[in-house]
Amino acid sequence: MLKKRIIPKFLVHNRRLVKGVRFHENWREAGNPVSTARVYDSYGVDELIFVDIDATPNGGIIDGSIIERVSEEVFMPFTVGGGVTKLEQIEKLLAQGADKVCLTTAALRDPGFVTRAAQRFGDQCIVVNIDYRETPEGRKVYAACGGEATDQSAYDWALRMEDAYAGEIMITSIDRDGTMSGYDLDLIHRLSDRLQKPLIASSGAGSLDHCKMALDAGASAITISSMFIFSDHSPIKVRSYLASNGTNVRSQTGSRS
Amino acid sequence: MIAIVDYGFGNVRSLSNALDFLGADTEITRDPEVFDAADRIVLPGVGAFGDAIKAIRDLGLEPALNRNALQTRKPMFGICLGMQLFAKSSTEHGGHQGLGWIDAVVDRIRPNDPEVKVPQVGWNTLEIRNSGWLFDGLPAKQNDVYFVHSYHMLCADPADLAAVTNHGGPVTAAISRGNLTATQFHPEKSQDNGLRILQNWLEHDFDA
Repeated sequence: MLKKRIIPKFLVHNRRLVKGVRFHENWREAGNPVSTARVYDSYGVDELIFVDIDATPNGGIIDGSIIERVSEEVFMPFTVGGGVTKLEQIEKLLAQGADKVCLTTAALRDPGFVTRAAQRFGDQCIVVNIDYRETPEGRKVYAACGGEATDQSAYDWALRMEDAYAGEIMITSIDRDGTMSGYDLDLIHRLSDRLQKPLIASSGAGSLDHCKMALDAGASAITISSMFIFSDHSPIKVRSYLASNGTNVRSQTGSRS
Repeated sequence: MIAIVDYGFGNVRSLSNALDFLGADTEITRDPEVFDAADRIVLPGVGAFGDAIKAIRDLGLEPALNRNALQTRKPMFGICLGMQLFAKSSTEHGGHQGLGWIDAVVDRIRPNDPEVKVPQVGWNTLEIRNSGWLFDGLPAKQNDVYFVHSYHMLCADPADLAAVTNHGGPVTAAISRGNLTATQFHPEKSQDNGLRILQNWLEHDFDA
């Protein structure tokens, strides 16, 4: 049976890893991307995600040399995102060693781009990420790293992106990012019931139980960042907690150990 | 030397990184003369079947691939879409003819359980059917490998089936027939288990 996935998510800023709160507060340095990837590989995590947070605001894309180095060091799947708006950029990122590309703002500006990318590279390598805020009027989607509001509802946008041939849908609550206050279980539950494609739940992980609740609510995968970076929970601890509480995760003890 | 076929549809760098890590001498190439000179050939692949087979034909690679697979019977390893190209045909996006080395069709995964999602993305367990040499040394209860796919290969001859995985029913995970070996999963992305499988292939004596 297919295992539920545990995915450390890293934000890249000036070629270093950083982690903040709610996308803009309290930035903290979180290490070097390549050596961090190596450490998490040795923990036997299931995948990695790197998102360059400067890329869209600065009109660039994630630095390819980081991807090449990561791909030389770890033999596991990884997704990269940040600023991707062109098919040629996806081609380049995949050639540098990435397995999947994550689209957020580009999908909002041009939903047809998701379809074209899926047709060209296969839907399995196109992850659409949805950044949203939980407002009194519902969950509203944001572009440009939370800098630009839209009228889209996160739920509707997820369904629309599935129809546009996204291979996986990732949902990121800006309000929960870095707060370690728990995943958005209600949206995870409603979307995973409805989506055919795998749902990746992102933002809010703070405890072992949060992880279990998000996966039990129907997410195919969870991303974790602050909890790994700033607490004493390691991927090994998360996995053993999940496995001993009946969640179907990989029992791998580590890689190249 | 191991030739890694570069036709614009594969994660050739990840693959060469993994084979290089194992000490193999690799060359990423689309030159038919290099295919002929190679000891072994790896056909990677990510993307849509129709576009991929068209690229192989447009680049004029098909005769050299056929020659090495069927006449000189060189060890060939297909990965993911590269595996699917070994089949006679695929139903993906209207239907396409493959390389036809294996009597098989490629069809969409049709789970018997509506909860099971397609594409299959993630780590799943192998059930080994044949060609156990490919899986030598994998830990019995921790033999998960990484899959990313919506289609899989249905072999006419069950003897060709090396391993399956369960994703709402049996899904073809690996095949092996003579000099032809292929995996639907990505060994180059499956950490220790994947490296072991690649190493088993590199070390296997196909003439024995």
